[in-house]
Amino acid sequence: MDGFPLISVSMILPLFGVFVILFTKEELSKWIAVFFSGLVFGISLVSLFFFDFSRAGKVQFEEKYVLIPELNLSLHLGFDGLSYLMYILTTLVSLVAILWSTRDHQISHRLKEYYIWFLLTETFLVGVFASLDIMVFYVFYELTLVPMFFVIGIWGYKLRLYSAYKFFIYIFVSSLFLLLGIVSLAVQHYRQFGKFSFNYFDLINNKYDLTFEVFMFLLFLIAFAVKTPIVPFHTWLPDAHGEAPTAGSVVLAAVLLKMGTYALLRFNIGLFPIASVYLMPIMVLWGIFTIVFASWFTISQSNVKRFVAYSSVSHMGFVVTGMFLLNAEGLRASITEMFAHGLTSSALFMMAGFIYNRLHSFNMQALRGSIKFMPLFAVLVAITGFSSMGLPGGSSFWGKFLTIVGAREYTLLLAFLVVVGAFFSAVYVLYLLKTLYLDTKEESRLIHFTDLRGFKLSAFLLVVIPMLMVGFLPFLFFAFYDLYINSLLNYLVSRVMGG
Amino acid sequence: MEQLISIEFPRFSLVLPELVVLLTGFLLFSLDIVYKRINHALAISVSLVGYLLAFLLLVFSWGVEGETFYGLYKRDSFSSLMQAFMLLLTMTLLGFNYLYYKSKKSLYGEFYYILSFTLIGGMFLVSSYNLVVLYVALEAVSIAFYMLTALLRSDFNSKEGAFKYLILGGLSIALASYGAGFMYLYSGSLDLRYILTHVGENHYFLVLGLVLFLIGFAIKIGAVPFHFWLPDAYQGAPTPITAYMASFGKLAFFAPVVRLMPLVQEHFAYAWITTTAIISALTMLYGNLTALVQKDVKRLLAYSSIAHSGYILAGIAVAEVIGLKAVIYFLLAYSLMGFGSFMVLALLERVPGWENRLEQFSGMRFSAPWLALSFMVMLLALLGVPPTVGFIGKALVFMSLSFERLWWLAIVMIVATGISTGYYLRITVLMFMKEQSNSLSLSVSNVEKFLIMLLSLALVLIGAVPIILWSFVSPSAENLFMR
Repeated sequence: MDGFPLISVSMILPLFGVFVILFTKEELSKWIAVFFSGLVFGISLVSLFFFDFSRAGKVQFEEKYVLIPELNLSLHLGFDGLSYLMYILTTLVSLVAILWSTRDHQISHRLKEYYIWFLLTETFLVGVFASLDIMVFYVFYELTLVPMFFVIGIWGYKLRLYSAYKFFIYIFVSSLFLLLGIVSLAVQHYRQFGKFSFNYFDLINNKYDLTFEVFMFLLFLIAFAVKTPIVPFHTWLPDAHGEAPTAGSVVLAAVLLKMGTYALLRFNIGLFPIASVYLMPIMVLWGIFTIVFASWFTISQSNVKRFVAYSSVSHMGFVVTGMFLLNAEGLRASITEMFAHGLTSSALFMMAGFIYNRLHSFNMQALRGSIKFMPLFAVLVAITGFSSMGLPGGSSFWGKFLTIVGAREYTLLLAFLVVVGAFFSAVYVLYLLKTLYLDTKEESRLIHFTDLRGFKLSAFLLVVIPMLMVGFLPFLFFAFYDLYINSLLNYLVSRVMGG
Repeated sequence: MEQLISIEFPRFSLVLPELVVLLTGFLLFSLDIVYKRINHALAISVSLVGYLLAFLLLVFSWGVEGETFYGLYKRDSFSSLMQAFMLLLTMTLLGFNYLYYKSKKSLYGEFYYILSFTLIGGMFLVSSYNLVVLYVALEAVSIAFYMLTALLRSDFNSKEGAFKYLILGGLSIALASYGAGFMYLYSGSLDLRYILTHVGENHYFLVLGLVLFLIGFAIKIGAVPFHFWLPDAYQGAPTPITAYMASFGKLAFFAPVVRLMPLVQEHFAYAWITTTAIISALTMLYGNLTALVQKDVKRLLAYSSIAHSGYILAGIAVAEVIGLKAVIYFLLAYSLMGFGSFMVLALLERVPGWENRLEQFSGMRFSAPWLALSFMVMLLALLGVPPTVGFIGKALVFMSLSFERLWWLAIVMIVATGISTGYYLRITVLMFMKEQSNSLSLSVSNVEKFLIMLLSLALVLIGAVPIILWSFVSPSAENLFMR
């Protein structure tokens, strides 16, 4: 597979799918979309055999197409362990979302457009995670907004227009700060080396004085804190996730939020090591604050989609906390949690969508005991719920456990605070499970509910199986990013010690 | 003994494109006199042939540089680039005008030669450093624009807009020429290159002259607080002409200011940066805030045009190579975006009962999908969503602001862009996410359809492969700086 342009193929195939959909009948569009996203997922699985895990800290599958030589702007694509894992998550979740949509009642009109937007999202997301050129990263980062804006606005639920506006404006405006930060880095590179550059590997050589570095860190942070989101900046999320159609919420929660955390790790920590160390205590405490507050918000929700959306915020709190502990356990926890949350949140949103198709309500009260006569669905949701809660064997366990271990390396008090956060995040999952399973309800209506089957079942299994894998075989996943973490920590130490 | 005046034979090869356009103009003029009712197909084809010839001459002599007429006229890569865009825009305009004027029952033969004279004025405006030439060319473009604005003879708004434009345009030209007088008083020369580098006795004459001269141009480009004519003129003018003013006019009126940028000297650089930055901040904030509350889309786009003048001025504040590149790129980018977006309105205005009200855009995706899609691309480009030209332009402006460490202006620009999100998105949402309110009976010729789709495709393509435009912009900016 040497020399095979894996990344551009994974980006072009969905585009080709878009092209095919444009020229075929409306009813066929869903199958074309399933075919192409399945193909990309297949390619990503096959590529696992060609990814050199012993060099996971280095960039592989590299491709470079120069855009503006004078500014060193190029379409520079490549995967290291971290971005490769995110790539696999992207292809998996895109397939799941499209599979789910084929049987979703909400998606009954304007099918062509719908699948075109989803395939475009897949292309852009692969671009986001593969870009090694920070300006190209920005381009893809912004581009993911457009399809989601339309998906929320056209196929969403009642408040869809409001949510679509809010989603677009929040993220667009916040990422303008990112744009300012990016071009400032290029200018800074020009001041030090006499040439402009947008390439990540050039920019990590930049040196700054502390004030400027913190200022740059904050410019980047504004964008990513809104995208991730961290608590005071999260208000777009419940609306966007709550009103989007199921598949939209799945992609939003599972991959689009990861763009924020991925970028925090890759760019904020990677480009501004000294500022990161300087601001570490604030960021860690902010992360814990996010966990606790988001958990409280979650428990108070009456709409199950908003409930799941807020639970995402609290999970992102764990990711941010772990990341800014800046030690091996913390980083490992953070990346594992990114992947695990991608799986659990997709499953939970599909759960909400599935029940909505039967009950036509998102109200928590209406959901009481609704799962009783759907045994298979009940089992899968239980696995998801306990995974999300962080029960040993569940996927989020490693994220939470390793964060606590990482925090313990500093002080016991910090570890205790993380435990408090973990406690609250367990509370809301238990509350959800109790509502679904244990509360009673008039049973005559429920008896007619058909269980999960066909495409929806396969979509569910596609996320539940990896969930169990993360839980029981975590070393499979650690193999992706342990070397990356090592090299990142070495780099941090060399930068901080070296001045 | 040195000769005081050297006799120079004019190098007509440098002004060949201009000469061709001029001849085309006179030919059209004579045609209009000879035939009582001019055949529009004939006029359009004569113009097209003339402009195409001029364009080809320009392209084949690309890279030829030099001065002639004793330094009154200068051809360099900047002027060639601007002229090429002007010719392209004018040719594109000819694809739209006939059906529009026909639907407004205002088909007049004078349109064609006035257009030629606008073009020739613009072509001279972008290629001179001399105050007198600039003055004459500015007058030529302006007078032609007044007439083009008023050309819907039966429409009251058209006349009102033209009259406002005339009054304020006259003021602007008076101020500019007054400023030119002071600059002459200071240096004893009419050449801007000499004036700005000259170290004379009375420094205040230079500052006063420059300020008045720039205020003259600020009125023309609609910078706040000199913008009052612009929304009315843009709204009143026939829509193809609005598109032309927003694209061609911006190129023409900004060009002399762009030429000044490399000449900014150490001792007034601070004043230049501060003044331009403040005007720029006011312009973009005012333009965007006012656009946000408009109900009339044509007026909304007019205010958005003011806002874009603000973004371009932000680049002009940075008198460095990078700023110059940003400004030229953004100017060309805006000329495409502005032209396209007003032209969409020109097509829609032919629909019976169309009044450019916002809510009339509801559900356009169902009645005219290709138009809705193209318009959406144009709006997103105006907003600056990647990978369109608008985004590259904004990124370059941010880059130059960061270069000059004008952080406050960068933040203002972010806020202004944030405000603009509101109204660009509103139209997009109306077109794509609302149910259809009434069906559009849109009758569009294939040429128009092709041109609109080509324009929107170009916005994306030029942005996605930025080297296309950059390879022209970057050398011409460096060339200007080297002189």
